[in-house]
Amino acid sequence: MIDMVGAKTIDGINNMGRFARFAWHTLIASLRSCARVHTYPLIWTQMNIIGVRSVPVVMITGAFVGMTLAIQAYGQLAGMGLEEYLGSLINISVVKELGPVLAAVMLAGRIGGALTAELGTMNVTEQIDAIRSMGTDPIRYLVAPRILACLLLTPILIIFADLMGIVGGYLVSVVHLNINARAYWSHSANAVELWDVSVGVVKGLFFGVAIAAISCYKGFTCKEGAQGVGQACTEAFVASFISILALDFALVVIFRSIYDTFWPLRSLV
Amino acid sequence: MKKKYEKKFDLKTSPNGILEIRNLTKNFGTNLVLDNISLKIEEGKTTVVIGPSGCGKTVLVKHLIVLLRPNSGEVFFKNRRIDNLNENELNKIRTHYGFLFQGGALFDSLSVLENIIFPLRQHCKITNWREVEELVKAKLSMVGLDGFQNYYPSNLSGGQRKRVALARAIALNPEIILYDEPTTGLDPIRSDIISELILKLQRELDATTIVVTHDMASAYKIADRIIMLHNGKIVADGDTDHIRKHPHPVVQQFIQGQVSEDDLAVLRMSGTISTAQFLPRDFE
Repeated sequence: MIDMVGAKTIDGINNMGRFARFAWHTLIASLRSCARVHTYPLIWTQMNIIGVRSVPVVMITGAFVGMTLAIQAYGQLAGMGLEEYLGSLINISVVKELGPVLAAVMLAGRIGGALTAELGTMNVTEQIDAIRSMGTDPIRYLVAPRILACLLLTPILIIFADLMGIVGGYLVSVVHLNINARAYWSHSANAVELWDVSVGVVKGLFFGVAIAAISCYKGFTCKEGAQGVGQACTEAFVASFISILALDFALVVIFRSIYDTFWPLRSLV
Repeated sequence: MKKKYEKKFDLKTSPNGILEIRNLTKNFGTNLVLDNISLKIEEGKTTVVIGPSGCGKTVLVKHLIVLLRPNSGEVFFKNRRIDNLNENELNKIRTHYGFLFQGGALFDSLSVLENIIFPLRQHCKITNWREVEELVKAKLSMVGLDGFQNYYPSNLSGGQRKRVALARAIALNPEIILYDEPTTGLDPIRSDIISELILKLQRELDATTIVVTHDMASAYKIADRIIMLHNGKIVADGDTDHIRKHPHPVVQQFIQGQVSEDDLAVLRMSGTISTAQFLPRDFE
């Protein structure tokens, strides 16, 4: 029993070390890619695959988040006579938390799985070794464009998710639940600050990098065969999901501290 | 065209042979694959590495291009040690190599033309696309596939994929070409075509050729030197005549394709269909 726990612990630490080296190598390669114009077509291609094609699914996610929140929250607020504040609750929740997190989870499933499967298949069919044998860094060629595409586009996708969450929440609240539209938007405008929207978008930067880095790492290190690739896809999604939640918590604590320290000083600027 | 795309990294030839391995040992976990192997590869010749499946032939060849690093021992390219270089330094060395992988390892999302110009794009600044197209045409003609430029790997047969992969491997006119089981999975005629291509390229490019195979017909056809691996060690090393007459029973068993008496005894003692608990007709 102790042997098994010890072996698992050592294995886990080894994996973390390998991931840290991979992440460092990826960071250097990504920075160099930004400075090399001939890598831009690779980044552009990935931006189309990762970003543009994810817009519909992210918008659907955002819309359902807003609509569901409206239905669930109405009962609580109506009981206290505060149904006109439904807009505040929905829109703050969507832009600060639910929009970024659920959009990122959707992207982890859609993009993360695809990245792991693609790179894992390349790994087991020796295509990554072929890239190395031709004197090219596979991390610079394969991983850096994907990381940069996720970094740039996840915040933008979160904006789409937030937009549809707001629209979905509005439609259910005003059209279905007959909340007064003027009161709905007035309370929303008072409650939602630029800071709230910014926090959600900045979270997207971290979520995007985490999804891409974990998925690419799992693809590069997957075991042989279809089972190896499938297992890597599952592990990539689970690890990405947990990372999104952990990063969300950490960022909430950090942003809360920053807000409490600096936001009251904005009137002095 | 050739001058324009010549490699920038020139190294002097070593008197010890173009490639050398000294006391190389490699294991994966507790599995010892290569056991203290030393080897010099002669420049301009074709060296064939044979041995049973799983004996470490591919592992040995991957060490020559440092796709794998040894647990102990050293690898030299033109008298320069390369197994301890970082990946950036190795990328420069690897432009001297071409590697044909067992399955071809073509990039599925790229066309045949894009696959072949991949190494050019990574190491040369392409200013004249017409020249590049002519180069691709020339490389595909060498392997008998001119006209396939716009095909994708999924549209090609197994033999065609190998030939496109070979065209890609020679795109930079390498000094060393490595082949990992080039005839595996091909019918006898296609296997012979690949063997002929190996001979042709070795002549035309004057390349040092290392081939991993268990296809003895191909080995006899192309080899200047044959090395046999068994249990992690080199058990035979010589020209084709030397191998054909080699006294080691393991070597004779392998080159004649005969099962050993011990393995035959195991097969005879194991169960047959008549002793199976259920027969197919029981489920009709």
